[in-house]
Amino acid sequence: MKNVITKTLVASAISAAMLAGAAQASVTVVSWGGGYTASQQKAYVDTYSSGEINMISYNGGLGEVRAQVESGNVVWDIVDVLPSQARTGCDEGLFEELDRSIFLPAPDGTPMDEDLMVDVPNDCVVPQIWWSYVPFHKADTFSGEQPSTIQDFFDVEKFPGKRGVHTWANAIVEMALYADGVAIPDIYDVLSTQDGQDRAFAKLDTIKDHVVFWSAGAKPLDLVNSGEVSMSLAYNGRIGGAVLNDGADYVTVWDGQVLEEEWLVLMTGAPNRAAALHFLVHASSSQAQADQAKWINYGPMRPSALPIMEAGEPWFNTGVNIMEHMPNTDEHMKGGILANPDWWADNGQAVNDRYAAWMAQ
Amino acid sequence: MSDTSLIDSKGQLLTNDGVPLKESLRKSLRRTKIRSFLLLLTPLLFLLIMFVGPIGSLLSRSIDDININTVLPQTFAQYELWEDKSILPSEEMFAAVINDIRITHKLENSEGKNIGKNLLGKAGTRMTYEYSGWRSLLLKTVKSATSVNTRSKEEIKPYKWEAPYKEQMIKRDKRWGKLEFWQSLGAMKDPYTMGYYLNAVDLRYDANKNVIQKADHLKIYKTIWMRTLKVSLMVTIFCLILAYPVSYLLATLPMRISNLLMICVLMPFWTSLLVRIVAWMIMLQQNGVVNDTMLTVLPCIYEGPINLPFFGETNIDLCFSEEDRIPMMYNFTGTIIVMTQVLLPFMILPIYSVMRGIPPSYMKAAKNLGATPTRAFIRVYMPQSVPGVGAGCILVFIVAIGYYITPELVGGKDGLMIGNFVAREMQQTLNWGLAAAMGAILLAAVLILYWAYDRLIGIDNLKMG
Repeated sequence: MKNVITKTLVASAISAAMLAGAAQASVTVVSWGGGYTASQQKAYVDTYSSGEINMISYNGGLGEVRAQVESGNVVWDIVDVLPSQARTGCDEGLFEELDRSIFLPAPDGTPMDEDLMVDVPNDCVVPQIWWSYVPFHKADTFSGEQPSTIQDFFDVEKFPGKRGVHTWANAIVEMALYADGVAIPDIYDVLSTQDGQDRAFAKLDTIKDHVVFWSAGAKPLDLVNSGEVSMSLAYNGRIGGAVLNDGADYVTVWDGQVLEEEWLVLMTGAPNRAAALHFLVHASSSQAQADQAKWINYGPMRPSALPIMEAGEPWFNTGVNIMEHMPNTDEHMKGGILANPDWWADNGQAVNDRYAAWMAQ
Repeated sequence: MSDTSLIDSKGQLLTNDGVPLKESLRKSLRRTKIRSFLLLLTPLLFLLIMFVGPIGSLLSRSIDDININTVLPQTFAQYELWEDKSILPSEEMFAAVINDIRITHKLENSEGKNIGKNLLGKAGTRMTYEYSGWRSLLLKTVKSATSVNTRSKEEIKPYKWEAPYKEQMIKRDKRWGKLEFWQSLGAMKDPYTMGYYLNAVDLRYDANKNVIQKADHLKIYKTIWMRTLKVSLMVTIFCLILAYPVSYLLATLPMRISNLLMICVLMPFWTSLLVRIVAWMIMLQQNGVVNDTMLTVLPCIYEGPINLPFFGETNIDLCFSEEDRIPMMYNFTGTIIVMTQVLLPFMILPIYSVMRGIPPSYMKAAKNLGATPTRAFIRVYMPQSVPGVGAGCILVFIVAIGYYITPELVGGKDGLMIGNFVAREMQQTLNWGLAAAMGAILLAAVLILYWAYDRLIGIDNLKMG
């Protein structure tokens, strides 16, 4: 216990010192927009009293980040990035490696880096959320038997209608292999071989003529709503947002969901470095992570946030229980595939080229 | 003043001040030249700084392979000595990799900040473009190769790994024993490379830097290039077919009505591109306005079995029913339709302004001389509108060939163009070399088109208005 107090004291002392040095200019945080940015605004920014935070949106990717760092004209401070980008960006020195001791430990004293659902990939990253690619449909789409597994997504005879799928290869190739009978722990070993990739694409061929492709996160909801497709893959938070906020009648099939990490990083040469660091400490605390789940059903990256949420149920802002909508509960993780960002950093280009060629056929 | 005073001894004309006229003229000409050049200087500098510079520097990335060559110089030197590339290289090459890693890892910039780690990170990204898996293999090896024995008492602590390396490296990661990784180094060994250009047209280097075809399932860009060309041509043709009669109307109707029509042309032109695209989505999607209307309006002529001569009893379906809904969005068709509408004003405006300048008296004269209206139109009017048609076609084609946002939103599976892949390489995979190569090819295509137009029709004939 004494350890915790010391650590907290040290952390707050450092934070206070940094705050003193922080400029008055507002910190620019770049994120994905939509309900996700709104949840970050509510959970992190609105609860933050030590400075001004300005949330803006981008389309993902490291193109803009690299351009800013290489030209020496950095205007962003903090960026919300996907797992493979968190790795390449840190390798290339686009993001700053952070002193891990400044971050707040969990309520039980576990340091942040040990209070994560994955091994921390490098010293650049600050934990955000878990999100997942997951299939969903309208509750009244199918009469009789309802889709319940990932096989059903690939079975257009049993469950007729088109399928909404995104225009890049991540997640869908893992799902294809899982639906084809590969055990979850073996998926990336199988995918690493030529035969395994052939097998995944052969499975994709079975729904090729029934696929409607989307690239913007809001699109799958449109597709399902208008009846253009009967089932679609989507980001789980988009589905949850429609269900929890707008009362939409969507059913999520959690089996075969592919979970992805999401991290915050500090730009190398960030113009408001000190203030940005102070905000990162705030935004990565267990409490702030739990707070975000009040506004969106993405899972906190720090397990220590879960007990806070469970104890506070109904935790969601509209007064409903949130745990059953989270992607990373034990129940939903049974058929859950943890995406392997290192594998994707190695093989992403080749597999995505092949996927693009497959789409264009 | 006598005449002689204006001519000097050599017979040159002199001005009033006694300076030779030639000299004086040259001076004043030079002054005008300098003045006009000074006036031009601002736009010229603007062009250089804002346009030529950035484009040039980006294009230079399409052949630039310097970074990887500064990171692994010894390795590439050893690569040249590796004779039989069907067996694993010798210990020297393995040792060269470790040496290169150790030297680079310690590199500092002028301010004493370590830059070596990031150079290695960039090298890993670069090498993965050549062969999947390089990134993690290199970074894993960096970790092992640079870890030092912290318990040593010496001032410069020795590395944990010692020569010979070959066995250890393969034991540590069996990928070091795979020939494909070593062979892929061949494509990166020179500081300047055509590799990105080859990649952009589905070719690649083999271990000896011979140009070969990519594996079939990775061939993607040829299809995309052909499609880009096809879309641009089709959009240009459709725009021309639609724009010509409209422009003719605009140019020949009385001013009052044609102004009204002009506003109809310009309104969409001033409307946000995104708004127009979304409007098309609502109209054309599978459950959209057009399909819904067809479903309710089209009568059901006949559905069921019918007894046909020769064929016997056949089921025919002359109904437009649920499953007949036409896919017009998120595919090739959608891209063509939306791009044609979006680019139509670029065709109408130049044709219109040229047509406005064609005197109506010519047509009257042709008819007076006995030509039928059709003949007069084809022989007299159309040739005069060619400069406008040429300008419109070139304008639409050039804008279309690099189009990005429309295909991105409505292209779906088979409507994506090369611009979308440039964006993907710029933003997602960070392969700027490949993006630059594709951009350079696109630029070259446009320049060739311009040149061909100049040769065939003459650029002087181009009239934007």
